[in-house]
Amino acid sequence: MSKLDHALYEIHHMDTLADKDQWLNRIHPLVKLIVTVSYIAVTVSFHKYSLAGLLRMGVYPAALFILGDLSFTDTLKRLRIVLPLVCFIGLFNPFFDRQPVTILGMFTVTAGMISMVTLMLKGIFSVLAAYLLIASTSIEKICSALRMIHIPSILVTQILLTYRYISLLLEEAGRITDAYSLRAPKQKGVHFKVWGSLAGQLLLRSMDRAEAVYQSMTLRGYRGEFYHGGNTRISKKDTAYLLVWSCLFAALKLI
Amino acid sequence: MSHIHISLEHVNYSYDTSHSVLKDITFTAREHDAIGLIGANGAGKSTLLKLLVGLNLNYEGSIRIEDIPVEKNTLPVIREKTGYVFQDSDSQLFLSTVKEDVAFAPRNYGLSEDEVNRRVEHALANIHIEHLRDRQIYKLSGGEKKMVSIATILSMIPDIILMDEPSIALDPKNRRRLIHILNQFEHLKIIASHDLDMILDTCSRVILLSNGEIIRDGNTVDILSDKELLEAHGLELPLCMQGFSQISH
Repeated sequence: MSKLDHALYEIHHMDTLADKDQWLNRIHPLVKLIVTVSYIAVTVSFHKYSLAGLLRMGVYPAALFILGDLSFTDTLKRLRIVLPLVCFIGLFNPFFDRQPVTILGMFTVTAGMISMVTLMLKGIFSVLAAYLLIASTSIEKICSALRMIHIPSILVTQILLTYRYISLLLEEAGRITDAYSLRAPKQKGVHFKVWGSLAGQLLLRSMDRAEAVYQSMTLRGYRGEFYHGGNTRISKKDTAYLLVWSCLFAALKLI
Repeated sequence: MSHIHISLEHVNYSYDTSHSVLKDITFTAREHDAIGLIGANGAGKSTLLKLLVGLNLNYEGSIRIEDIPVEKNTLPVIREKTGYVFQDSDSQLFLSTVKEDVAFAPRNYGLSEDEVNRRVEHALANIHIEHLRDRQIYKLSGGEKKMVSIATILSMIPDIILMDEPSIALDPKNRRRLIHILNQFEHLKIIASHDLDMILDTCSRVILLSNGEIIRDGNTVDILSDKELLEAHGLELPLCMQGFSQISH
């Protein structure tokens, strides 16, 4: 499978996960969105030396992995590019903040090391929370939740269509590179001399495709607003889910 | 006398001033008509279909759908009455699941969720693809995508169905199924296609286009059996009329 095909497979796999008939997937998207945003807000609000408090916040992703029947290993594989970048942010803290905090045998733990770990954990937990949201909620439902809290329609439509167009772009790129590789069998990758024309072709084809999709939308009554339908009522179960997590986040923050 | 749904009078259209794509197109279509739009590549078939739903405007002449002129401000009404099936199903289907895509149009027209669900079920049942309801679009085969594309327009309950090369890329079984479904529809249908055998099976009337002009408008069998006429305009007799001698040859 080529890299482009693999990327496409990953996007489709996320759609499949979000479409599963699981307990977590059936929670109202607005509730899941609020819980996710609250979790990220509480997580990043921990003090840079509050490592113990932050570690306790790990209970939320752990619980969601179980409730959503999601594979932790697959998640790590999927986030293997993002997570190192997130971890990289705090890498220089030990060099700037060298104040000793404690000594573990021969090893002196500095404040910079603790702040590095908390920064990394904040990043990892935030990325995991966002991942768990999209793995249990389709893009259409997330967008409908955004509209419920009055995020402007144009912005929500941008998010939805960007997500959809990524697949189109990857498909077009896959076709172009397949056609190229079939006629350039001894080359590894695409020769730099044709990067420009291939990118141009990709842009033109993607624009044509996007135009056709847009025409299809307007022909079926689209006038700038996506109507998602589905269940818009928040049930008692949803309210309970929101209350339990809100109370837990508050408790974890205040302990 | 049946009601006139589509009326074109002296329609001219060009993408730029130097080259006319459609020249002096005049015809009417009534309810329950099944019209095959045939012609060689570049004859103007797709352009003509697009004019009917206002995807191309700035034409000269008159185009009226159910007596409503095709203009920018009338497009929502016209498009509610007209279902357009794209040649490429991947352009038509852009949401994640079949149900979401089929429900897209009814939701845009402000129908209640109960009515939307009813229409989705009805559209899927109409072409016998209820089992695809919760399937993800990317997992569908080419034939299934075509059927779902048709369902997306049926959920609008259109009076008119326009199809651009519907049988392209379908295997024989799916093609046969498509023909069967098209023959069930009582809507006014205009089908642009090179598949003359399908046109023969589904349409009672044919409009032959060549270089943007209507060359002939009449009975399907009369036109599709006229070898000289077809060959003069870049087409050939339908395979079923070519005879065994030519097939063996």
